Amino acid sequence: MVWLAAAVLAVLATDALHTRLPPSGGASRQMGFVPDPDLAKVLSLGFGAVLADFYWLQAIQAAGGDVRITPELGDHLGRLIDLVTTLNPRVDHPYRFAAIWMTASEQNVRTANRLLARGIEYHPDEWRNYFYLGFNHFFYLLENDRAAEWLDRASRLPGAPRYLPRLAARLKSESAEIEVAAVFLQEMLNTSQDDVAKEGYRAALDEIEVEQSARLLDGARARFQDRNGRDLRTVEELVAGESAVLRTLPAAEPLALPSALRRGSTWVLDPVSDRIVSTYYGKRYRLHVGESDRQRAEGWAEERRIRERVQGMEGSRGETRHEPSNHDR
Amino acid sequence: MLNSGSRIWPIATNTVREAVRHRLLYTLLFFAVTMIGFSVLIASLSYVEGERIIQDVGLASIRLFSVGIAIFVGIGLIHGEVERRTIYTILAKPVTRSEFLLGKFLGLLLTVWLQLCLMAIAFVAVSVLVGAGLDLGYVAAMLLVGVELMVIVAVATLFSSFTTPMLAAFFTLGIYALGHLSRDLYSLGQASDVPAVKQAATLLYRALPDLESFNLSTQAVHGVAISGAEVGWASLYGVAYSIALLILASFIFHRRDLE
Repeated sequence: MVWLAAAVLAVLATDALHTRLPPSGGASRQMGFVPDPDLAKVLSLGFGAVLADFYWLQAIQAAGGDVRITPELGDHLGRLIDLVTTLNPRVDHPYRFAAIWMTASEQNVRTANRLLARGIEYHPDEWRNYFYLGFNHFFYLLENDRAAEWLDRASRLPGAPRYLPRLAARLKSESAEIEVAAVFLQEMLNTSQDDVAKEGYRAALDEIEVEQSARLLDGARARFQDRNGRDLRTVEELVAGESAVLRTLPAAEPLALPSALRRGSTWVLDPVSDRIVSTYYGKRYRLHVGESDRQRAEGWAEERRIRERVQGMEGSRGETRHEPSNHDR
Repeated sequence: MLNSGSRIWPIATNTVREAVRHRLLYTLLFFAVTMIGFSVLIASLSYVEGERIIQDVGLASIRLFSVGIAIFVGIGLIHGEVERRTIYTILAKPVTRSEFLLGKFLGLLLTVWLQLCLMAIAFVAVSVLVGAGLDLGYVAAMLLVGVELMVIVAVATLFSSFTTPMLAAFFTLGIYALGHLSRDLYSLGQASDVPAVKQAATLLYRALPDLESFNLSTQAVHGVAISGAEVGWASLYGVAYSIALLILASFIFHRRDLE
């Protein structure tokens, strides 16, 4: 009886102590230690595949839920996916997972591109890796020529959508950027298995849809100016009275929006930018997913130019130190 | 030769009977089967490639626990007979020390192959339950796990022929680790500018068992084509390496003072 009481007491005491411990552990979203891939490969003693699975699950834990995509998270995911794909380069989805999540800095995107290139090496017939690489060059790095090259290669692979050659051609002509983005995003939406990423693509597609309507209104506004010799006072003038240039105004909200989320948004002239905007978004669309946008991409490009200029100056001074460029992908 | 076979076989079957009474065997087998089943839970944490994860974990469990059984059951092979003094009764009969050693080796090998079959059944059952694909690649992978186990049992037999179980376990584990590192050691050595290091690396690569040549798990799981030649050459290599180890073990055991 005494033993039983002692056992119950010990269990209760242990449980009480346990509840005082912080709940987060090794598998939490904290950016923990990631071993060197080459060393881990050597020390895996033939168990590389299962070790790769372990770190893949860590990557999912790190990126899952409502987590904010930051350059630090991108770096961490980059290290994890580099480790996963070094331990088992035959994995398939992790390469594209990197492309989806590593978008918060130019370095993130370049690393993701390097990982995608590794994926292409091991899965030369998987068109999606080429497609994602093309998307990164187009969307985040503003490198349309390189994007077109990758799309061109993707289009020759089995299972690739038929529109890819057309998309590549449009990229080369550097026109209709927003339409190209819509096609890219629709394909990413169709092929992605990541629910959070899918939500992001849907949101961007909705915004593009409203932007396309806004561009239609821009055209109508120009015609209105030509016809009446003055600018609009309100957007409604486009459809009202004798000076109307349109029969109806397009929807100011995404068509796919559930009725419960509809706000009865309208088109207005933004007093700051003097542009026609939907009250749903309050601003005009710029090519972006999440926090990355053209401005950021241009910022990255500027940083790169400065870095290259500095490196060039150092090189001309005869310094022997040479860092390999990470812009080759 | 026939006579020799008739003397080796009873020792082998007796070793199997003895090994299946080993509690450690069941403990490791239990953990292996539990891990194979548990792989379904692990895979549920991933939103993609769950079947691949299940099979990765399943095959890794089979390889890990099989080697554990081979080493920890194998190391006490000779020592137990000497300690119980049953070895003297056996060797008093017209049985040579080599035949005794070979019988012990075969007995343990049959035991680990038997448990390998049980684990493979559990693996196939889980794969079928979750709808994961199975093809001839898995048969090839499993076959080479069997060959790897043969080499490990031969290593354990060699060390148990002249040392204590503790040291035999330590040495066999060391050879297992080095056997999986041998290709990397070779590559590292070849990258060196010092000819002596290169030669030493080559020598080590030739002397150590190349256990990575028996590892086709990843290829099987990813559906990479596995050629018959690859499996055939690796199997022949494993058999040849095991024979060489058994000859060495026999040579040492002949000279061992059992008093």
